[in-house]
Amino acid sequence: MTATEAPAIEAGHHQRILDGLRRSLGGALLDSVLERGDLWVRVERAAWHQAFEAGKRQLGLTFFSFLSGIDWQPAPGLSGERTFKGEEADEAEESADEVAEVRTGIAGGATRFQVFARLYDVRRHVGVTLKADLDDADPRIGTVTDLYRGADWHEREAWEMFGFTFDGHPGLRHLYLPGEFEGHPLRKDFPLLSREVKPWPGLVNVEQIPAHLDPKNQPAPPAAEPAPVDEAAPAEAPAPAADADGGAG
Amino acid sequence: MGLVEKGLLPKPLTKLLNTARSYSLWVYQWGLACCAIEMGAAFGSPRYDVMRLGVIPFPASARQADFVCVSGTATDKMAPPIRRLYEQMPDPKYVISMGSCANSGGPYWDSYSVLKGVDQIIPVDVYVPGCPPRPEALLEGIVLLQMKIRNEDMAERWRGEPLVVRGGLDHGAVPEEKKVAVLKTRKKNPAPA
Amino acid sequence: MPDWKKAAYIAAQAADARVNVELEAEGMTLNIGPQHPATHGTLRIVCRLDGEQVVWADPMPGYMHRGYEKLCEVRNYPQINTLVNRIDWLGSFCNEVPFILAAEQLMEVEAPERAQWIRTIFFELGRQANLILFLGDVGTQLGAITPVFLAFRDREHVLNMIEAATGGRFHPNFDRIGGLKDDLPKGWLDETVGCMQRVEDFCDEIEDLMIGGTIFQQRTRGVGVIPAEVGLEYGLTGANIRASGVDWDLRRDAESPLAWKSADWKVVTHPDGDSFARCWVRLQEVRESARIVRQLCEGLPSGPIMAKVPKIIKVPAGEAYVETENPLGVMGYYLVSQGGLGPFRLKIRTPSFNNISIAPWVLRGVYVPDVITILASLYFILGDIDR
Repeated sequence: MTATEAPAIEAGHHQRILDGLRRSLGGALLDSVLERGDLWVRVERAAWHQAFEAGKRQLGLTFFSFLSGIDWQPAPGLSGERTFKGEEADEAEESADEVAEVRTGIAGGATRFQVFARLYDVRRHVGVTLKADLDDADPRIGTVTDLYRGADWHEREAWEMFGFTFDGHPGLRHLYLPGEFEGHPLRKDFPLLSREVKPWPGLVNVEQIPAHLDPKNQPAPPAAEPAPVDEAAPAEAPAPAADADGGAG
Repeated sequence: MGLVEKGLLPKPLTKLLNTARSYSLWVYQWGLACCAIEMGAAFGSPRYDVMRLGVIPFPASARQADFVCVSGTATDKMAPPIRRLYEQMPDPKYVISMGSCANSGGPYWDSYSVLKGVDQIIPVDVYVPGCPPRPEALLEGIVLLQMKIRNEDMAERWRGEPLVVRGGLDHGAVPEEKKVAVLKTRKKNPAPA
Repeated sequence: MPDWKKAAYIAAQAADARVNVELEAEGMTLNIGPQHPATHGTLRIVCRLDGEQVVWADPMPGYMHRGYEKLCEVRNYPQINTLVNRIDWLGSFCNEVPFILAAEQLMEVEAPERAQWIRTIFFELGRQANLILFLGDVGTQLGAITPVFLAFRDREHVLNMIEAATGGRFHPNFDRIGGLKDDLPKGWLDETVGCMQRVEDFCDEIEDLMIGGTIFQQRTRGVGVIPAEVGLEYGLTGANIRASGVDWDLRRDAESPLAWKSADWKVVTHPDGDSFARCWVRLQEVRESARIVRQLCEGLPSGPIMAKVPKIIKVPAGEAYVETENPLGVMGYYLVSQGGLGPFRLKIRTPSFNNISIAPWVLRGVYVPDVITILASLYFILGDIDR
């Protein structure tokens, strides 16, 4: 099949998926956003497995893309903001009120932790992002490994990085980190210690040349005698400018 | 301990042995990440052929290797295997740390799971900077290692003193008398007097 | 009968009996990796064997886990662009593109047409660089030493082209939000078209030398069959799922500002789903990729290569998910921004993570040499699995 013959993505598919989910979940579908050609749906925690089941069995979403989490707690010190400012600005920031409101993203959200996953339909080429809020004190949700076997590793990673527990998962154990690792790295309150110890200097990142190697401090070489000018040789023509063909290859 | 390590062999003979050793190196490729591809290009591609330097990059195992070229990011989880590999190599052994990740942690210096340089667990002889270093840069690192081997005093090595080459950037850490002159300096960047 | 004859007779009977008895033995645990010439990096697979067959296999990634998602939260957008190159470190430009597209989507900035075409050209060059090495490496893992030298030799031509324009052999760090860093040097387009001829010659050579050969076929046909439904459940993408018969390629099927639809090329699938199918599909992909680059180079529009973007990039608040068809599979970036200099959360959906998660399923009951064959044909890169 050539590129020109491919069917265009039909506009109604996202709406069809949304209607199908609404039919299956009813009130458990808390919020949905359809914009920029993509669909986000937030469901109740108890209806997580049901949503996946509806997606797989009735709506043709047979492809499991990924599952992960978001920690919505704001951490101003963590964002890229810190890289551009100098030391004075850092002190000014610390005096400001650092505990800002938790602002959640598309399709809302009421809690600090959210789990989100993406399913896709390979025949109609539409996808949906499902989200669910998790309890802050004990973030747990049902597993979907019985529906999509690929969720196994994704849920292990979410447990490892955020501390989410997936009820019914065959075995939540470390995937990336060594067994003795303590803490959940992707939580916003997990500090990157290297940055605490030595903050990123930002634009200034060139080390000074040590004094004894600096050419400015080296003793000046004795003045060389001017070479005798050879008056018989014709003046050299200036070297031709860079090749008109440019740097080919 | 043999005659060489006890220092009982006359100097010309040790020089001969060192020269022979420097041109018959077998390198164990410990390729971890992107630098492994440049290492592969330096070692395996006909363009940056490393065998013309006398270095053969295909030892059967670490136990038959002269030096190891650690290229790529060393993570905390990977540290025990790296240490175990280094201990499996027989003496005299050398280590080339290739790429900024192996030198100092590189672009991942602030990560929670990356070693800030492989010299935290094994002693490194030559550091090749770059991200990734060009194959030619790695070849220069290997040439430097060969220079280092040629000027080595095996008895001193067994006594445990590090060999520092004159002109290196050590910011005055090692006094000048203890440094060794490199026999053949490169003409382009000669070491300062 | 003399005693010694009796003793010899009894000993012979006993020896016979020993040979005929079923040997009860425990299974052996075989640890492949983390340092192993056959894994593309530091992957450790623990296999439990019963004789020569694998009873269960447990891949243990994480030896290259560098914490990308956490690192991206503390960096700003230009820094992330540099870092993100190193996820799939063979076809590096391809990693930058979905990230830049996600940021552009949120900023509502569109790069000019020439920039999109050049991005597509570099994307395809990255694909070729990646898959050429795959074709060489799959030979090494099956025991053929020569293909990898040919692959490195011919990959140099593609890397030359990338280096001529961007300055970096791989890790070009060339894409910017709103366009590209620089325009192409003069004469680059003609050289690249010539380079594509070399790439196609390499494909013919590898097909002749290895993929068409009997040994390769006997070792890979019928080995590691993955049916399409199982593949989709696990999230297999790229050539792996196309080799199981699923006709899905994001370059053709998804809306994307890049210029794939401006070229005439085919999506290659294979019905078998075995290791041979996966290798063969990738070989054809290199050929199609050379076709795309040729057409795009010849029809490149002129114009600016950078849209107007502020000097300090701040992406407005929102969430966006963009995925593209990378050489390893489908790579996507889920970008959550709260208006800062850097993202609030960047989830990187890497293809090899899903590709290798099927290993426990596909390696059951398989013979030990076939374990290497299957892993070679599934093709993963550790930076992609571990991020």
